[in-house]
Amino acid sequence: MSLLSQILTILLNGLQQGAIYVLLAVGLSIILGTLKFVNFAHGALYLLGAYLGLFITTEVQLTNGMLPEWGITTFGLGLGFLAALLIVPLVTFVVGIVMERFVAKPFYDRPDTDQILVTFGLAVIFQEALRALIGGDSQSLPQPAWASGPIALPIIGNFPRWRLGVIVITALLVLFVYALVEYTDFGLIVRAGTMDSEMVRLLGIRLDRPYLVVFGIGAALAGIAGVVGGPLANVNPNIGTEQLVPAFLTVVIGGVGKIEGAVLAGLLLGTLQVLLIQTGFAAWNRVGIYVLAAVILLVRPQGLLGSEVDVE
Amino acid sequence: MTVLQTDGLTKRFGGLTAVDEVDMSIDKGEGVSLIGPNGAGKSTFINLVTRRLEPSEGDIQFNEQSILGLDPHEVVQRGMSKSFQTASIFPDLSVEENAIIAALAAEHGSFRFNFLRHRNAYPEVTRVADEVLESVGLYEQRNATAKNLDYGNKRRLEIGIALAAEPDMLLMDEPTAGMSPEETESTVELIKEVKEELDLTFLLVEHDMEIVFDISDRIVVLNRGQVIAQGTPAEVQDDPAVQDAYLGGAEE
Amino acid sequence: MSDEPSDATAAAEISEEAGLDGRLEAIQDSELAVVGIAVVGVLLFPLVFNNLLNGYTQLATLVLVWGIFALGFDILLGYTGLLSFGHALFWGGAAYAAGIFSASVSGQPVLVILFGTLIAVLLAWIIGFLSLRRGGIYFAILTLTFGQMAFYLSSSPLAFLTNGENGFTSVSIAPLFGVLDLHGSLGGPLAMLPGNTLYLFVGAVTVLTIALANRILNSPYGIVFKAIRENESRAEFVGLDVWRYKLMAFIISALFAGISGSLFAIEGNYVPLSSLYWTTSGEVVIMTVLGGVGSLFGPLFGAAVYLYIEFIVSGMDVVGPFWHLILGLVFVVVVVLFPDGIWGGVTAIRDYIGGERR
Repeated sequence: MSLLSQILTILLNGLQQGAIYVLLAVGLSIILGTLKFVNFAHGALYLLGAYLGLFITTEVQLTNGMLPEWGITTFGLGLGFLAALLIVPLVTFVVGIVMERFVAKPFYDRPDTDQILVTFGLAVIFQEALRALIGGDSQSLPQPAWASGPIALPIIGNFPRWRLGVIVITALLVLFVYALVEYTDFGLIVRAGTMDSEMVRLLGIRLDRPYLVVFGIGAALAGIAGVVGGPLANVNPNIGTEQLVPAFLTVVIGGVGKIEGAVLAGLLLGTLQVLLIQTGFAAWNRVGIYVLAAVILLVRPQGLLGSEVDVE
Repeated sequence: MTVLQTDGLTKRFGGLTAVDEVDMSIDKGEGVSLIGPNGAGKSTFINLVTRRLEPSEGDIQFNEQSILGLDPHEVVQRGMSKSFQTASIFPDLSVEENAIIAALAAEHGSFRFNFLRHRNAYPEVTRVADEVLESVGLYEQRNATAKNLDYGNKRRLEIGIALAAEPDMLLMDEPTAGMSPEETESTVELIKEVKEELDLTFLLVEHDMEIVFDISDRIVVLNRGQVIAQGTPAEVQDDPAVQDAYLGGAEE
Repeated sequence: MSDEPSDATAAAEISEEAGLDGRLEAIQDSELAVVGIAVVGVLLFPLVFNNLLNGYTQLATLVLVWGIFALGFDILLGYTGLLSFGHALFWGGAAYAAGIFSASVSGQPVLVILFGTLIAVLLAWIIGFLSLRRGGIYFAILTLTFGQMAFYLSSSPLAFLTNGENGFTSVSIAPLFGVLDLHGSLGGPLAMLPGNTLYLFVGAVTVLTIALANRILNSPYGIVFKAIRENESRAEFVGLDVWRYKLMAFIISALFAGISGSLFAIEGNYVPLSSLYWTTSGEVVIMTVLGGVGSLFGPLFGAAVYLYIEFIVSGMDVVGPFWHLILGLVFVVVVVLFPDGIWGGVTAIRDYIGGERR
């Protein structure tokens, strides 16, 4: 392998590793930036996405939990991966809207700590309810047949087709959200709300509807992240909270409310992890991202692309 | 002696210059009001002076020393106190505790390493707090929870908190905003009383011209970030530039 | 504490305020009363817990250990209004430090606790400095981040110290002051006391920490912390260095976490890797909120309820498998409807009953 192909492989793997962080972080970031709402249940939406994906794609044999005790031993629709990819974002979008209305909204005027506490509590409830119903075993979400196996890329050589798929899907989604926020009236309101929600309200613009949509989009992105990330690792009730922390890290490093920031930070974290693994420092790969985060936050408390005004 | 002096104080937000080369000075014992139409830069000016905002250019001197580079709490410790636009109190604590917090900061400075000392080892703190409550007429209600006070008394408490620091200068940001006429009147009386009693220097930001003309020694008029006039209430009242600014402001 | 009476007399002499004398006495009485309640509570707890509630002494010990953790956490969350999701770092960090110290330096329980606590305080100094640079929501996220960093550090790069995934198994505790084996049984008249040696040792430390917490909350810090919680910008504008007081609240809470974590290592003779995992931080959050934020005794109740559900309810038929779910539900209900927690409910009832007298 030439040096160039090695570097490109690391970058591509980093891109893939970071892609999941980016999908989660973009949603978290726009919700945090626009609504000033800290969603500790964002990981639970990822978890929901992964399990929905699992049950839509295949039929799963259940051995633990309440469902088999109630006589349900196989569960799932078996509609295939593409169906999951289409249905999950719709479902999680609706879940996001419901969350905004019934969870987030009543807490906008309460202290930040209460928002964190209630979303944390809901995440625990969802995760544990899931565990109680179907047990805590790891399931595997199969890769779609049309995207399994390797693909031959120039210079790099063989690269797992699905990993490339994750990168492409992420890129398309992020571009879509970016365009939505940058170039539409909806986006204008969202961006203005990010800067000064009081002023937007004074101008007579109702923020209820845009807020709903922002929350819905964030949730849908988390749901898709669960589906596309599912085949890359095991699916079990803990994956939501496990993904939440690096996702938060991505948001804070990139700068709250900044989509470009989330992308940059996600790629940075992903590449660093892959670099550490492939250069013989695998033991340090998870530590590395936290050290990087600590350094960046010391030098730039507002994050890489965050503006100083947000720091207060 | 000059208590507060700004030299060429400027604050730009992007392309907008909110405060534009303002030179202002306040002498000891003087009561100065800052007026001007909405968006004239009054709030920005206050935020600069209290060090909530970093100026783009210019210098701020308090008691003849530059306060640039200080944190807000350090400025307070130098003797500049502020009463807020809304009743900014500690709502779930008692009236007396509200005053004690302010007295603690005044007596102990911004920070002390004394978490193993019982509060009753500091009787002077309670004494200052009680004196302050006496002077704003809230001593009788000292055991009430602050949020249960009526609005006028909350504002009195708010002023009391600011006075507990025994300030060399008191900044008051619309102290009568949202008050009933009776509450307004009693607050104005309170300010007058305190000014006389303590020989208080103050800078008042206020919309109610009646109050401004009533209690100010001098008035400074700000428009579009610049000082367009200043002088005694009578002088300012007759200044054509001031009338222009207010009429122009109303048209916008 | 020894200089307190002379201070108080001096205070009374300086002040001409009528009634201040009486108030001083009341405060000192209440400090003694708090310690008295703590002693009685610690002695009665295993009797009630073991005989009426299906508990057992080892679990009662664990309740006190976690209770100390929650007690300190409440100084940060309940009094100062700062929500940390990284306190596992101080608790687990102290547990590891205590364990390693016992294995390689000295197993003397008092020294082990002092060392573990010292490490927790030092860690809190650094992490607090970094996390408090940004206010509000960032604080929870940053503390969570640093906590996870410590977890992954211990799981593999520092495995030569921590024994990685297997947890630290070489904890070796010497008899207290060279004579009293903490894991042994008491002889003589002391055997009449409830619980066992370890319980009484942890109980004694618990009483000390309650007295310490009570003193801190009655010091100027107590009222400054509340001021920061109620209105941070106002606290800044009366001239308080809010940032440094927040850092102190953080360090003080870590001090309690350190004492608790060290006791945990002593109690179990073992430090699991999960002691650093963020769920540990989550557990202390739940305990504190369940018990009642902003009260001295509430968090101890929260610890008891949490561990009771985790260890006793989980063994029951039907509801047993759902213990974690039950905790989650109870937690959310408390957050939404009863911000003052269980202790808030208890005081409300007490005030209701006592109300007729007033």
